[in-house]
Amino acid sequence: MKESNGKQKIMTCLGIGMGAFAIALTTLTSYVRAEGQTKVDPGKALYEENCGVCHQLDGSGVPFMQPELYTSPRANGDKGGVIQMILEGSKAVEPGTSEFENEMPGFEYLTDEQIALIATYVRTNFENTGGEVTSEDVARERKRN
Amino acid sequence: MTLKRYALITALVSGTMLAGTMSYAAGKVSDTAPGETTVTKGIDVQTIGVDKNAAIDADVGIRLPVGFKASVFADGVGTPRHITVSKDGWVYAPMFRSKDGMGGVAMKDDDGDGKADQIHYFAQGRVATAIHIVDNWLYYGEDLQIVRWNLNDGPIPKGEPEVIVSGFPEQQAHANKPMAFDGKGNMYINVGVPSNNCMVETRKKGSPGQQPCPELERHGGIWRFDADKAGQDQMKDGYRYSTGHRNVNALDWNPYADALYIAQHGRDQLNSFYPELFDAKVSAELPAEEFHRIEEGDNLGWPYSYYDQFKGERMVSPEYGGDGQKVATEGKKPLIGFPGHWAPNDLIFVKGSGLPVEYKTGAFIGFHGSWNRAPEPQQGYRIVYVPLDEAGNVSGDWVTFADGFAGEGPIRSPRNAKHRPMGLAEGADGALYITSLMSGGRVWRVTYEGK
Repeated sequence: MKESNGKQKIMTCLGIGMGAFAIALTTLTSYVRAEGQTKVDPGKALYEENCGVCHQLDGSGVPFMQPELYTSPRANGDKGGVIQMILEGSKAVEPGTSEFENEMPGFEYLTDEQIALIATYVRTNFENTGGEVTSEDVARERKRN
Repeated sequence: MTLKRYALITALVSGTMLAGTMSYAAGKVSDTAPGETTVTKGIDVQTIGVDKNAAIDADVGIRLPVGFKASVFADGVGTPRHITVSKDGWVYAPMFRSKDGMGGVAMKDDDGDGKADQIHYFAQGRVATAIHIVDNWLYYGEDLQIVRWNLNDGPIPKGEPEVIVSGFPEQQAHANKPMAFDGKGNMYINVGVPSNNCMVETRKKGSPGQQPCPELERHGGIWRFDADKAGQDQMKDGYRYSTGHRNVNALDWNPYADALYIAQHGRDQLNSFYPELFDAKVSAELPAEEFHRIEEGDNLGWPYSYYDQFKGERMVSPEYGGDGQKVATEGKKPLIGFPGHWAPNDLIFVKGSGLPVEYKTGAFIGFHGSWNRAPEPQQGYRIVYVPLDEAGNVSGDWVTFADGFAGEGPIRSPRNAKHRPMGLAEGADGALYITSLMSGGRVWRVTYEGK
């Protein structure tokens, strides 16, 4: 499955492009928020719609049921860990190792962009410093499954 | 109209919280005269419950009706779940997470001051939820089997227990195996469903419900077993006593009415899966947590229906074509529909004479408190009492028997709840015991001291 150099270059450019786009989007969002407009961070909105009910709107989770996302090792680890968790849900966790009772569904039906926005929101909020995730990162992780 | 009712309830709850906070600051203000009682049919006196204007006892962290007193029996014991007390005063609780490899804790107050002097851990490698004593056998409900030790061999269980029932299906969610005994040699075990509402894909927006729901074959019901026979298997030896339950953590045999009573957790996430049918406020209140008398052969309707306590009707689940308005034909209605997501985790009938007569024949229900009422404040962290007459009919409005567990509200996230009540038990001396697995784990002992 080794890609050619040419394709790699294209992918790298695409990656930089996507990264720049993501940074631009983040900057734009911050700007809009700073201006006091009603537009919300799309990552926050997606998190609240898809994740907030279980992990709670403030990321604090539910003791013994759903993990908190604060200073989460996964959210601060490599990007793949968070992306796989969103794509696969509980199946991404080795059986028998979870300390939490509830089962997490997979969100593979969301688009790469949506998953990237959620992953970025989680990795840059709740005192996490994992950093941004791009749509390309998500697409790459999808291929691994 | 319906929305107005929700708004009214929210306002009432907020008002109560506000009033509680204000009176806490201003000192005790009572709107219920101590000793005030009303004669009602079938029962000598009306049950009043906690005085909503009274302050929470800071020393013990909970609030009780006038005349009751609580002590912290044990603190920092771990993660106790259900609880039971032997005739000799040993208090046992299985735990959610093991402590030094042990799944259970045994506690004893030697000097009678209401605090445990001895704390021992037992049940190596066996985390569990359910516990019960019958004829000095300590029954212990793990997720996949029910075992027992004989307490005549010593108060702290040692060695391999006898396996009474095994063969339960492996599952991640709702795996607890709470139990009840009818005093006639039978044991009743709840097998919770592994899903939220039997959707084709687990907790996935837009996924329809499976028709028929295959989970009901081995889950979603109460199975009856011989309490005294070792080596039983769920499907080979168990008798399915009732079906259509979602998850019953709270069950006990009513010795006055000679029937099984339960309180169960309703389904989650109406709003997150069907935002066009249920807004966040409605989804915080629906569906009801159901309180039932269970007769042999009953079907409570899960997953095809849920109970709407405002309409007083069982409704078709949206995964099965419901729209929030369509009344269901399948499923028994509960005796009471409690507010949504309060999480009833234990239920007991008291048998002794330690409590006043108005608490004699009804049900105490421990609500663990909600996690999925956001963006509304979380609720429910309390013990309630449901007055029942000797025939087991509801004979008055339910009251809050103990609250304050969660601490100063409103509670936005369950993590901020200091304590969440879990297990309930009655001691041989008539005292009540309550567990919480939060903040290191606590056990309270509650006694009636008179007015």
